[in-house]
Amino acid sequence: MGERAGVWQGTLALMVLKTLQALGPLHGYGIARRIEQTSGDLLAVNYGTLYPALLKLEQEGYISSEWGTSDNNRKAKYYKLTRAGRKQLQKEAREWEQTTEILARFLTPGKESA
Amino acid sequence: MRRVRGWLLRLGGIFGRGRQERDLATELESHLQMHIEDNLRAGMNAREARRQALIELGGVEQTKEMVRERRGLQILDVLVQDLRFGARMSRKNPGFTAVAVLTLALGIGVNTAIFTAFDALVLRPRPVKDPDSLASVFRTTPGGRDGWFSYPDYLYYRDHSKSFAEFTLFAFGMAITSSDLPTTNPTSAPRFARAVGFQLPQLLQGSAQPIGCYFVSGNYFQMLGAVPLLGRIVLPSDDQLNAPPVVLMSGNFWQRLFHSDPRVVGSVLHLNGVAFTVIGVTPLDYLGTTPAVPDLWAPVAAKVHLGGLSAQDLENRLVIAGMPTGRLAPGVSLSDAQAELAVLAAQLRNSYPEDERNSSISVVSGSDNLAALDSETWPVVAAAMSAVALLLLIACANVASLLLARAAARRKEIAVRLALGAGRWRLLRQLLTESLLIALLAGALGLPLAGWMLHLLIVEIASALPSFWGTIALQISPDIRIFAYTLLVSCAAGIAFGLAPALQASKSDVNSALKEEGSAFGRHVSRSRLRGILIAGQMAACLVLLISSALLLRGSQRALKIDPGYETHRVACLEVYNPANLHYSLPRLLQLNRDLIQGVANLPGVHSVAQASRDPIGGIRWVPVSSLNAAPSIPGGGGSESPVAGYSYVTPNYFETLGIPIVRGRNFTPREADGQSPVLVISEATARRFWTGEDPIGKRLKIGSEKGTMSFPGEKDPFVASSEVIGVARDVRSMDLRKIDESYVYLPLSQTHQWTRTLLARTDGDPTPLLPAIGREVRRVDANLPVIGAPLYTMVSMNPFFVASRIGGLLASIVGILGLLLACMGVYGMVSYSVAQRTREIGIRMALGAEGIQILRLVVREGFQPILAGMLIGVATSAGVSRLMVATLFGLNPMDAVSFSGVSLLLGAIALLATWLPARRATEVDPMVALRYE
Repeated sequence: MGERAGVWQGTLALMVLKTLQALGPLHGYGIARRIEQTSGDLLAVNYGTLYPALLKLEQEGYISSEWGTSDNNRKAKYYKLTRAGRKQLQKEAREWEQTTEILARFLTPGKESA
Repeated sequence: MRRVRGWLLRLGGIFGRGRQERDLATELESHLQMHIEDNLRAGMNAREARRQALIELGGVEQTKEMVRERRGLQILDVLVQDLRFGARMSRKNPGFTAVAVLTLALGIGVNTAIFTAFDALVLRPRPVKDPDSLASVFRTTPGGRDGWFSYPDYLYYRDHSKSFAEFTLFAFGMAITSSDLPTTNPTSAPRFARAVGFQLPQLLQGSAQPIGCYFVSGNYFQMLGAVPLLGRIVLPSDDQLNAPPVVLMSGNFWQRLFHSDPRVVGSVLHLNGVAFTVIGVTPLDYLGTTPAVPDLWAPVAAKVHLGGLSAQDLENRLVIAGMPTGRLAPGVSLSDAQAELAVLAAQLRNSYPEDERNSSISVVSGSDNLAALDSETWPVVAAAMSAVALLLLIACANVASLLLARAAARRKEIAVRLALGAGRWRLLRQLLTESLLIALLAGALGLPLAGWMLHLLIVEIASALPSFWGTIALQISPDIRIFAYTLLVSCAAGIAFGLAPALQASKSDVNSALKEEGSAFGRHVSRSRLRGILIAGQMAACLVLLISSALLLRGSQRALKIDPGYETHRVACLEVYNPANLHYSLPRLLQLNRDLIQGVANLPGVHSVAQASRDPIGGIRWVPVSSLNAAPSIPGGGGSESPVAGYSYVTPNYFETLGIPIVRGRNFTPREADGQSPVLVISEATARRFWTGEDPIGKRLKIGSEKGTMSFPGEKDPFVASSEVIGVARDVRSMDLRKIDESYVYLPLSQTHQWTRTLLARTDGDPTPLLPAIGREVRRVDANLPVIGAPLYTMVSMNPFFVASRIGGLLASIVGILGLLLACMGVYGMVSYSVAQRTREIGIRMALGAEGIQILRLVVREGFQPILAGMLIGVATSAGVSRLMVATLFGLNPMDAVSFSGVSLLLGAIALLATWLPARRATEVDPMVALRYE
């Protein structure tokens, strides 16, 4: 995990919420695969770190879970977004966009002086 | 809000763990399976698919641990988990836990008991209003810094000082008897005192029972802001010679003799034959500024009614009346007060030059209780505190080595935990929690233990003191501060002894520990070095304690054998308190003394009865002495300081009764003894001091000072302008048992014109069986005399240095033996552990042909090394410590070979035994079994 952990942990919750919004109820493995696919190889980290993050979101009430059956008939825990989670996703996405915008402006050469 | 919800859920997460764990396992398992299936579809073989899935997950157990950490409140969760685990470990090793807890409980208990006693005796604030602004005032002379004041001087300071808002006087009591109280039988010698080996003087059977009474100026209780339990306090209006006599009763006396009957207030109590009205009762254990609770409090003026003082004494600037304590006016510092009183003292010297008062003033803070400890008490207190602190240290070291041994035994367990991904900090915390658990258990056990020891200590001491000496007021129920202290000590100890083994254990090398390879040859070096240091430290501490105790006990034994220069075993010493209650005239008193001597001398078994103004040992009276024939042979010295000598008024048969030979000249003749001729007998040392090499007989000495000296009422010092030396008596030890008196003079008893209280009866054998008969005889002569009687040798045991070395020695030996026990347990544990750990090595050695005895020697030598090192350190430290104890050794060489070598050998032998017993097991190792063990 090392140096990337901070970024990963900070944005992981947002990615999870976004994934659940896009794909509907999904199990941990599915979420992990989705995040990996979406990010390409940039975020090749342990899937294991996902589970504490899921627990945290659940404890905070942004997602809920229930047991279900996977495509290949396996018992799996499915997570889905709650109403609070939807709001939180909007809020965090907005904040994130703002942050990236500011940073982008900051880092693009020339723009400052113009 | 969300965050709070999260916290609450996490708090809840501590419970219901089983279901959560199962769910988590299922979830991760399905995750893995799905991943494996995907990998298989991607074309990997089964093995590779699983491996990749595990790698990408980052390990099942690691993931579980991460989730667990998130699930509960981690600190609490871990704590509960550690506590559970600790409790389980404790149950699994009840022996280990019991030893560790008991060891520590003992250390904590003893420490708490001593701390509580010290706190209660010395540090506890006085139960008075604003103790910080109180100040005690002393008269300092070249001879001492704690002199008291005469009544007129006290009044002068009280009326002229502006530094003090209040200025009060306090005086210790005198023997008072009452006809209104039931006579109590003297108690038999208390167990404690007997066990320690000293005896306190006892009232003779049938003698009048004295009551302890303290005298205070009328403003004393007002200054302290005292609130009575019943009635009222003593007021300035009571402290007048013409005021009706009143007395204030202590709650303790009220409870003991009046069964807390409230009707006592207003009733009449006859003291020394005078009717006193009881005006009130103080709360239980009310001390004021005094060290003990008296039976009664009375105004200073009442002392005149009781006969302890005459009205003239209250106007005499040479008669000591008491010790002043004042309350500083607002904004006045101690040094301001000191400066002002010094000016007043100079004025007094100018106004009354005829009174010799070569003195100045010292003002001491009244709240500074530590200053009240005199220079003789300090070393005893300090030694006791260090001894018990040392015991705690030994206990901690012992528990540390126990824990270290266990940590070593648990190396494999710890290595497994490390291998499974446990963090070092996590492990440290686990081990620390376990040690804290032990410490807390020990603290919980140590507190009641301390309470019990305190109770024992105080009940025993209280019962050992005659009740008229006052009651030692001590709240012996442990209070919250003392509980906090216990807890602090036990936790500090827990961390202290938990940290070292924990650090050691977590350093464990995973690989070697798992393979159980590490213990084969020399891998355990650093751990056993730490244990060695601990053992060495324990041994050193034990040796210091035990050598000190041996020195002190041998010193006190020596004190009993010291020849003081007079007979102590066949002499009964009687102290007859001034029978002031009888209001007899002086001729009648002197006749009373003659009747007593006659009566006691006629008893069968009594040879002779001598009389003296002071006991042969103890009670010191000094008087300035100068030679009229030659300059003192002592050169220079203090210059202005005139030489002083101890003195006693004696009857002519004093020398014969005590077996003190007259080595030159002669004894008093009967005519000299009864008359006023200025003659005296001096000690050999006095003769050497004034007339070295000359014949002292016929020389003349001036005894005392024309101006007079400050003295207690009824104990006026002699003044003889020119006295002829008629005899020289052999030197004795009477001022201080540790050395021959530097200077001592004997004057004829008839010249004192005062009550003399000491009677000495020479008997055929031990006088103890004769004491009841003597008591009956005293009662026959006058039933109102309070008399204390004891064989003279028991007076030796009252010597403060003897008491200090006896108690110190006993305490040190108890602590030392406990320490030794603990240390031996440590040694035993260390050696048996090392044997167990090296089973294979020993097996190999034996397989290669080593003899049992060689193995034994190897193990014992290794085990004994730290012991030897500790003993060397201990002997070196003891040599330093013993030098500090010289004063209480009664001439025993501080490097006493018997104490040093005897104790060292004994300790060494015991430690060797503790090494040898477990080492024997090494020789029973079967090479085949040992090797197969792999």
